[in-house]
Amino acid sequence: MNCHIAQANLSPYLYGELDFAGEEDLEQHLNGCAFCQRALDSEKAWHTALNAERRDVPLDLLARCRQDLRSALSSEVKWTAVRPWWKRPSWKRWFDELNFSSHRWSWQIAMASFLVFVGFAFARWVDRNGLPGGVEPDGVSVMSMLNPGSRIRDIQPDDAGNVRITLEQVRQGEVTGSVADENVRRLLLAATRESVDPGIRVYSVEILTSQGGDDVRDALLNSVLHDPNAAVRLKAIEGLQRFAADANSRSVLRYVLEHDNNPGVRSQAIEILAPRQGPVTLTPELASTLQDVVRSADNDDYVRTRCLELLREINVPVDVY
Amino acid sequence: MQGASERSTEVDLIRAAQRGDSEAFEQLVRSYDHNVLRMAFNLLHSEEDARDVYQEAFLRVYRNLPKFRFDCAFSTWLYRIVANLCLDQIRKRKVRKEEAVAVQTGSGEVDRLQFVAEQRADVDPQRQFLSGEVNSRIHKILDQLTPRERVVFEMRHFQGMRLRSIGAALGVTEEAAKNCLFRATQKMRAALGDFV
Repeated sequence: MNCHIAQANLSPYLYGELDFAGEEDLEQHLNGCAFCQRALDSEKAWHTALNAERRDVPLDLLARCRQDLRSALSSEVKWTAVRPWWKRPSWKRWFDELNFSSHRWSWQIAMASFLVFVGFAFARWVDRNGLPGGVEPDGVSVMSMLNPGSRIRDIQPDDAGNVRITLEQVRQGEVTGSVADENVRRLLLAATRESVDPGIRVYSVEILTSQGGDDVRDALLNSVLHDPNAAVRLKAIEGLQRFAADANSRSVLRYVLEHDNNPGVRSQAIEILAPRQGPVTLTPELASTLQDVVRSADNDDYVRTRCLELLREINVPVDVY
Repeated sequence: MQGASERSTEVDLIRAAQRGDSEAFEQLVRSYDHNVLRMAFNLLHSEEDARDVYQEAFLRVYRNLPKFRFDCAFSTWLYRIVANLCLDQIRKRKVRKEEAVAVQTGSGEVDRLQFVAEQRADVDPQRQFLSGEVNSRIHKILDQLTPRERVVFEMRHFQGMRLRSIGAALGVTEEAAKNCLFRATQKMRAALGDFV
């Protein structure tokens, strides 16, 4: 293999597109050719640079696309429901071919009989089984929708300040109401913990941030500590702004500042613990956390710099408190 | 690479969706939609266009699913639709010369997360400069690739698709896809190789 062929094969090699013999030939050549080895290193470097600059899709964009598609598909279904007779299912064609009657009155009698039958059947069924479960004002049925087999499929706030939550189980239900509504609030709280869709968790956290209360604070703290998605954690931390004076919240924020693996989340934590605008209360616990952060080698520059600034403000050396 | 059980699950889902099971169709969509949107978003650099491609692609899948006969993998068929929609969009833009260099971002709260990395760069002037320079070069060189080179590069480098699947999705041979990728990587190497 010469250098020309080797360099042509560098990208396929990195992408794993060479066959075994091709890889062997290239590796043998690379072992003896410093020029091609440097070219391979350079190739790897720009692959890495390219990956680093890659932007992922905003979570809300994916949620909006899914919502659009759902609406478009429901229109498609309505459209297919009125398709011409030659495209109808075979049983409908068979029924048409029976030519039941062309007289209008015979249809009316048939439909009336059918409705009477349905009415009797439904009444008997209700008599035995009670009313079917669903959204009831007392909220018990609403919460029973959140059984282990169900999931929250969508959360859609509207301009009027209401929230529509779509639940999915054996059949789908919708709950619409103000955020202050107890049922809506409980579903949103559950969504922060139980939805598998990070987009929905972000939405639920975002909507809850406008609300006060211990249950909201606890849900936000739970998301900050345990949500695997950094976007959700960041949104939850923003929501903790209104609970910044609360001792539990501050304790969790200090933990996050020290231990969260996402630099954006850590930066937000320090902004709430010690905002740039306004007075900063540096407790011994916070100062100790700041020292730990400054000492740790793997924190990002922004957080370390801000921690150092704060420590200098209260004349505390990095190593002693 | 899908395992045998995943493939059989997917086949079951497709068959159920073909029978009109909307839940199965939604599961199929959810298996691929993030990647489809990511591909469209990064190829078109526009949220609106990516959204249009997403919707049109899955609507086409929905309408034509009853005719799908498993002659190729479902993913190949889906990516063929997505690639063609993206290629059409890129070609239209080339004609209209209206492609924006900068990525459009929405004003939603979650979008701010996209800038977490940039915020980190802001506090380090050297990193900010390097990040900006690399970003600018990447946009410039991506703009210079032909529409097909862009799509092939996107599918291979970012979507991790095999050249054989890329060829099948674009209706060309594996060799043609490989040549296309080679041309694209040559251009990328020339633009970025000395910088990194």
